Amino acid sequence: MAEAVITRQGLRWTHIDFLQRILPTLLMFAGFAFYEPAVASTSNLWNIALQTSYLALFTLGQVVVLLTAGLDLSIGLTVSYASVVSALAMMQFSDEPGLAVLVFIATSVGVGVLIGGFNGFFVAVLDINPFVVTLASFNILLALSSTITDGFPVSGFPPLLGSALVNSAVAGIPIPIVIIGVLFAATAVLLNRSVFGRSLYLIGSNRRMAFAAGINVRLHLLGAYILCSSLAAVGAALLTARAGSGEPNIGGSLALETIAAAVIGGARLRGGEGGVLSALAGALFVTVLSNGMNLARIDGYVQQLCIGAIIVLSLIADRLSHRTSRTS
Amino acid sequence: MSLAEPSLPRRAFTTRLNGFLANGGIVLLLILLIAVVTAIIQPRFLNQQNILNVLRNTAILSIISMGQMLVMIVGGFDLSVGVIVAFASIETALVMSALLQWMPEMQFLAVVLAVAIALASGAAIGMVNGVLVARLSLSPFMVTLAMSSVIAGATFYVTKGIPVYGMPEFFTHGVGRSFLLGVPTVVVVGLLVVLTTIAVQRLTRFGRHVYAVGSNPVASRQSGIPVDAVLVATYAISGLTAAITGILLTARIGSGQSTLGGTFVLESIAAAVVGGVSLLGGSGRAERVLLGALFLSLVSNSMNLMRIDSKFQTLVLGAVLLAALCFELLLRGRRKYG
Repeated sequence: MAEAVITRQGLRWTHIDFLQRILPTLLMFAGFAFYEPAVASTSNLWNIALQTSYLALFTLGQVVVLLTAGLDLSIGLTVSYASVVSALAMMQFSDEPGLAVLVFIATSVGVGVLIGGFNGFFVAVLDINPFVVTLASFNILLALSSTITDGFPVSGFPPLLGSALVNSAVAGIPIPIVIIGVLFAATAVLLNRSVFGRSLYLIGSNRRMAFAAGINVRLHLLGAYILCSSLAAVGAALLTARAGSGEPNIGGSLALETIAAAVIGGARLRGGEGGVLSALAGALFVTVLSNGMNLARIDGYVQQLCIGAIIVLSLIADRLSHRTSRTS
Repeated sequence: MSLAEPSLPRRAFTTRLNGFLANGGIVLLLILLIAVVTAIIQPRFLNQQNILNVLRNTAILSIISMGQMLVMIVGGFDLSVGVIVAFASIETALVMSALLQWMPEMQFLAVVLAVAIALASGAAIGMVNGVLVARLSLSPFMVTLAMSSVIAGATFYVTKGIPVYGMPEFFTHGVGRSFLLGVPTVVVVGLLVVLTTIAVQRLTRFGRHVYAVGSNPVASRQSGIPVDAVLVATYAISGLTAAITGILLTARIGSGQSTLGGTFVLESIAAAVVGGVSLLGGSGRAERVLLGALFLSLVSNSMNLMRIDSKFQTLVLGAVLLAALCFELLLRGRRKYG
């Protein structure tokens, strides 16, 4: 798949791959809808679309670092930290709502760039294992975001924020979905059509070769981590605006959810594989699964068990299908 | 570990110093430094009770880190150790209280059976991890992550998060709070586990196979090492050591708890990393991981004594982890390219 995206013909391959990956989700959705008709109601469909787009945005960030053979365990806490800090920054400008909203967005993205730069510095420049680097930044951010406000949410947002980032719509489509859609399109162009994006794939598949080919591996890796955290930070701004307060717990288990979604969607932890469509397919799968289980009133703990089992099953199925296609 | 550098007579001292620092000396120095500084600022540090506490925590952490270390040497991670601790805790308590109701006069047998069952299921969970990693060559990260989700879901579903009581005093006092030869039983068990791991690493064929598989799985397979069996065995041992930790904690707390063990994933990996286990696989020694565990327990004890907010302690843990890696890098000057 890594090579497949390069050529025109390859692009078609990724579409077939995407359809293959979306099929189980559709079957699952049909099953849930049969069991509980509320799953297929219009309001729930919009709900699924909205939840999928948030998760897909975070997963997209994760995919960008996964395809360089890295990963970002700190993505959830990046979201939490950006949420709290941007909310605090906005409260300083509560007299001028317009300026406050701009400050809010700029702070959130700025926090994302800084965290991405921090992770990227250790991973790319110092060449330390991304697992441990992001595990460490996970802990650092956990301490910061839970102590900065003593764990309390930051509330009292100007109403303008809600009308700008939550409730408005473009051609009937909610603004968060529009923003995320634009980011997806931009990232798709970046990954598939730009030298930077193609270099990331090469670095992920074969770092030595990328180095030998004259690619500045460190700079590209740094860029990948900054891109990942910035996408997460934009998502943090959208989620914070929706929640109406800066929440230190908003990121929760996002690291594991995004990695699971990315892998279900076709990205690989060893790098070089995956793209925007894997983020979308994986996020849709995870959202439909948890939404369906919620509406079917399945016990939360059983849900957790099911998600783990389904991840393992999808990995096994993926591995087996790859095996057969390789031998045939 | 690090290759012996050619020792020119002139540079002998610095070379030897470098070697000492790179091979765990720095951790040893830091341990001494923290101990001295803490003892000066907070003389309570030297209380017998506090010292025993540090030793107990070190023992518990080093047991679970032994399994984590072996898995890291073969080039993986075990993210499921935390939930195995909780699982073993619940299982021990449930089985023990059930057996006691059934045969109230045979306390000893009930304890032995419950412990044996918990150990066996810990190893079995590890084995499933190992089989998925070895036979299907799935990513250890994803496998143990998904396994955590499954086990945690099952543990919480069974208990609804409520602690399980009903264990005999013979177990809670006899194992959790007793002393053997003047040393807490937990510390004795910890020492036994560490010494066994050292012996396995240095003296047995399996120990050498673990290093070989971690350094180069393909070459290992070609030279006739049963790579899959070694992988399954290391994951099973990791599950086993996690279960031992769970049982010891259960005995100490006096109830089975589904919330135990949450921080052990991070702490065991941190202990291994501070103990010089390479993240690329192929190297790592039990005695240095023990030092890593002692270091982490000491840092957290010292922060507790100085009344540092527990939320800030995770920040220090994260910073320590990064500092350890940077320092290792600095000493070895390892560069993959460029």
